[in-house]
Amino acid sequence: MIRRIGKGFRIFSNWMSTYENLVAVYAALGILVALCGVLMVPMLTYHEDQIYSKTIHRDSTLDPYDRGGIPFTRAEVKAQYPANSPTVGFVTAYLTPLSWFLANSTPYLGTTIVAHPGGILDEILYNTRGLDTVVETSILFTAFAIASFLFRRRD
Amino acid sequence: MFNLPIEGEELFVLEFGDIVNYFSLYTTTLFLFATAFIIIAIIARPERQTDIVFGTDAVYIKDVNQENLRFQRFMAIACGLATLGAVSSGDLFNFSLFTALIGITNIGIVAGVNNRYVLNAAYNYGIVAMVATTFLFGGAATALGTCGTLSIWELAGLGMVPLAAKMFLVLGVMGEGMAPFYIAKAEITRAPGAPYVLMIHVSSLLIFLRVIEIILTV
Repeated sequence: MIRRIGKGFRIFSNWMSTYENLVAVYAALGILVALCGVLMVPMLTYHEDQIYSKTIHRDSTLDPYDRGGIPFTRAEVKAQYPANSPTVGFVTAYLTPLSWFLANSTPYLGTTIVAHPGGILDEILYNTRGLDTVVETSILFTAFAIASFLFRRRD
Repeated sequence: MFNLPIEGEELFVLEFGDIVNYFSLYTTTLFLFATAFIIIAIIARPERQTDIVFGTDAVYIKDVNQENLRFQRFMAIACGLATLGAVSSGDLFNFSLFTALIGITNIGIVAGVNNRYVLNAAYNYGIVAMVATTFLFGGAATALGTCGTLSIWELAGLGMVPLAAKMFLVLGVMGEGMAPFYIAKAEITRAPGAPYVLMIHVSSLLIFLRVIEIILTV
């Protein structure tokens, strides 16, 4: 009996010591935690007072990105620590003259957010939570650096 | 927050808009530890692996390719900087982002080794690190949905963050911090250019220590 347990243990430890199998171990843990998470969903309650809330005005020309405000006036934007962001509200309201012209003459500016410079700048992305955006792009550039290094390596 | 037993006293506060980094006695210790290892990565010279030919006096010394060395050193320093960000961050989502950055740079450090066996281990770790980001950001998103905010300052001591979010965060950090297992198994520590691999161990250790602090605080 003891010998059989010992043999099973040896097989298990042999399997665990192969690093290719660690992905499977992590996957099993992930399934376990995900199941627990799914079971806990009924216990989660959505907090009504959200700091980064979003409202969509369907009839606006900046439709899905309209956060309110006209250029050079302060839009109503919530921030966790308003004292740390003195320009809160001005960023999201600002449009370049070209974008302002387009927004007033066509109803589709919101769909071309990346097609023209200085379009709609998001308050959360570029002002109150700007450090997050910096780190996100760092992740992207690090991944590019690794990929280009591996691609250009002579061997 | 600073009257909780784990944090210690408040030493310094660094504000980035809504993200307010804090340096308590605990996080400052981690910060200084990471700084020391960045300095080591900058000044250290890579180890040259030697193989002794059995039965004779001959010794092989493996040379380290200059290009690989430069890339590994760059990635080690980047990993150290990401660790500095992760240990001092005062925001759940920002912490998750820095942890993901640590995972990517860990892959980069290992990618600088010219060895099929080692690169295979790096590939396996890459899979785990990518899957782990799901849990990491899932944890932060669950916390945001149920609490309405991400700032550790606001959440500290309230116990509002649900257990599911904490479990996701811990599992995510486990996945990102799994690199030392692969290193031990693939014997990367013995591969040429060893000192930079130390940064992987240090960053994994520090993000584990930090996530424990976060879990106990929020």
